[in-house]
Amino acid sequence: MENKIDQTLDCKGLSCPMPMMKLAKAMKGLKSGEILEMIGTDPGTKSDLPRWCEKSGNEMLEEGELEGGIFRFLIKKK
Amino acid sequence: MSEKTKEPGVLGNLFKTFFAKHWPVWVGAIVLGTLNILLFAIKSPWGASGGINNWGENVYKLTGIFGLENATSTSTSFYGMLCVFLVIGSFIGALLSKEFALRIPPKGELIKGFIGGGLMAIGATFGIGCSIGSFYSGVPALSGGAIIFTIGMFIGVVLALRYLMWEMEKFPKFSSGKSYNFLSGTGKSGNWQIYLGWIVLIITFIIAYQYSGGNKIMAWFIIIGMFMGLISQRSRFCIVKAFRDPFMTGEADGSVGVMAGLVISVFGFTAIKYFGIGAGDIAVRAREMTWVFPHFFFRAAIGGFIFGLGMTVAGGCAVGTLWRVGEGQVKLWASALGFLLISPISKLYIVPPIVKALPQNFNFKNYLPDYLGYPGAVGLVLFIILIWYVFVKWNEKTGRFSAF
Repeated sequence: MENKIDQTLDCKGLSCPMPMMKLAKAMKGLKSGEILEMIGTDPGTKSDLPRWCEKSGNEMLEEGELEGGIFRFLIKKK
Repeated sequence: MSEKTKEPGVLGNLFKTFFAKHWPVWVGAIVLGTLNILLFAIKSPWGASGGINNWGENVYKLTGIFGLENATSTSTSFYGMLCVFLVIGSFIGALLSKEFALRIPPKGELIKGFIGGGLMAIGATFGIGCSIGSFYSGVPALSGGAIIFTIGMFIGVVLALRYLMWEMEKFPKFSSGKSYNFLSGTGKSGNWQIYLGWIVLIITFIIAYQYSGGNKIMAWFIIIGMFMGLISQRSRFCIVKAFRDPFMTGEADGSVGVMAGLVISVFGFTAIKYFGIGAGDIAVRAREMTWVFPHFFFRAAIGGFIFGLGMTVAGGCAVGTLWRVGEGQVKLWASALGFLLISPISKLYIVPPIVKALPQNFNFKNYLPDYLGYPGAVGLVLFIILIWYVFVKWNEKTGRFSAF
């Protein structure tokens, strides 16, 4: 089943800590059960984001890499 | 038609262990701490700002301004070369894990990178050392000034983080806009990165071998620098992260990693100083005072504070900047440029008049074992690390001081 994306956050080109800061802020604005799509290019996000999800209780639905070195994550707000 | 994926062999699995996923920070930090002990045993501990300053002096040497014609050329400067090979080591690590790409950020981020780098340069000149020399090496060197530098840096990080949050709320456009990503290694077509990684690794060993005839210490600085860059890139070792994340997302992993590296280094450095290992012709006292800088306490406090502001705005401490340069993060290229261009200027013109105006007792060498003995000094450092550990773990659980 396709996940319905409620908001997309574009963090392409940004370095640590901006992607995680923007993500945490965007997640604050979502309602429980809503899904955020984040795209970015900082390799650090690949380890920071799953750890943050585990700690904050939000659910990482998908993580993958698109063409051109762009990482994509789908996170469901708890 | 489904393509059958081949199971990697023994060597393939070994490669995957190092380059498929990021390493835990504590693993990287412990290895970096061990390499730092090795550097000290060979010559003197790890430092980054001195090497970056050497790069800057060589840039000005080319232009003939500021009277830096006699600056040591980078190819003969131990710390200049250590920093060069730290960048190359990170480049190798990024290539072998197919994580290299030229990542060009929005303009506002480039400006922040340059300003952050410039502030780090001023902080490192004032505090005589950076996040490495006056913290990651300075604290294990049992320098009282390094502890003061660390406190100053901590306050700088917390304040600059508040600025970043304010900026994100009030001026979100500053960190958004057009960005570009080139030369990434996605998919099979990105395998060139792995081949290039091996080639650069082999070239590094050839260069180290070339040096080994006339300058054995330099050969080791090249190899250790390369490994330091590779390990920092794989474990994403960063001092800013260690100080900032507890106050941002509440994450403690970066802090705990840095602590693990510090604990290893404390014991290694103390053994070297205690026994005068590697003292050679110099007095044992001089060996003991290695990396104990004349910055206690005012120079260390102010230097640490300015450095903390700079590294948070730049998004990378001295080493965090260098390895991100090797990974292709162009924001940190701006930061390295700001650092190297401002550092010689701050050494020649900005810091000396201020230091001259300070009372003499604001900048002396404080070696903790002189006051507390070796057991007391080591005990004090370990106690401070323990308090820091309890704080970050408690904060991670309760979120008491985290912004998100």
